[in-house]
Amino acid sequence: MSADTSLLTLLTTTPLFAVGLTLTAYLIGNGVFQRLKRPSWLPAILIAALLLAGALALMGLPYATYHQGATWLTVLLGPATVALGMPLYQQLPRIVELWRPLAICLPIAATLAAFYSLAIAWLLGSSDTILASLAAKSVTAPIAIGITEQLGGTVALLMGALLITGVATIPCVSLTTRFLRIDDERLIGFALGLNGHAIGTVRAFEISPTAGAFASLGMSLTGIFTAMLLPLAWRLIGMGS
Amino acid sequence: MPALSGFLWLISYWLIGEVVIYFTALPISSGVIGMLLLCVTLAMRGRVSSSIAAAAQPLIALLAMLIMPGVVGVFFIIGELAGQWSAILIALLLGTLLSVVTTLWLLKRLIKPTHVR
Repeated sequence: MSADTSLLTLLTTTPLFAVGLTLTAYLIGNGVFQRLKRPSWLPAILIAALLLAGALALMGLPYATYHQGATWLTVLLGPATVALGMPLYQQLPRIVELWRPLAICLPIAATLAAFYSLAIAWLLGSSDTILASLAAKSVTAPIAIGITEQLGGTVALLMGALLITGVATIPCVSLTTRFLRIDDERLIGFALGLNGHAIGTVRAFEISPTAGAFASLGMSLTGIFTAMLLPLAWRLIGMGS
Repeated sequence: MPALSGFLWLISYWLIGEVVIYFTALPISSGVIGMLLLCVTLAMRGRVSSSIAAAAQPLIALLAMLIMPGVVGVFFIIGELAGQWSAILIALLLGTLLSVVTTLWLLKRLIKPTHVR
């Protein structure tokens, strides 16, 4: 047992173990997802996250140790957010084409995306910290982390909220489009990106490139809008610091 | 190495975002500011340089993997939030369903008329 522990200590002296573990889980998650014929209720990220959590628990590797090593990957979220400026630019003609409906829909839908869950959680008696952690649930991770830190929420809970929201968005969208008889890929993509951030966007790219383009548009705009709205809203209602 | 110089651009925009936040105290993350600056720059130049595309495309494709280390953290706070989970789950699942329905209903009402004419 002590030999195992010292081996684990040796392996985790560099971040490479944590990085390798993450890549392994991600690749296996993707492989299983393809093998299962891309089920909409079980996205690759959920499979990978479960595998990774299971592996950490089996090895007895503390999450803090793993997370420290994985910083080598998470630090890339900064430049990855900046990179979203590229699809945003590439879709400028489409934004201009549909600017009116999108400009009307986005503020309402992005506000409601945060509001519905906050209102339900508040009615069910959740604490201020939990509310602050759930507020950015529909925002893409790099932006959402910044928002949550400003609101005084827990980043770990936010990330869980992102996972649950993103995964839930996919079946919600396919049910609703069937119910409302919507087959316009632009609408489906926009709704996936607006509500389901990166996870919804990955799904939209599986439907079609057009859906994917509108999903990244919805994701970017929701991120920007929410990043400006939530901290102000929080200050107005006098929560957090 | 076009990807490397593109990556340097992305890092630079992120750092500029940090500087902007330091001086303006804007309530936005530096990544968002960098994203907007990148979009404005590309719009002014009228095209995406191959170096920026070479760096941005793989990073965007890996977005899901980059959030994984953080996402996994939720499995380790399950105990801490015992008793709160049903409220959190109901809020997230029901909230998401409601907001998806609202978004699609709004979009259908706003976009269909112009489409049918």
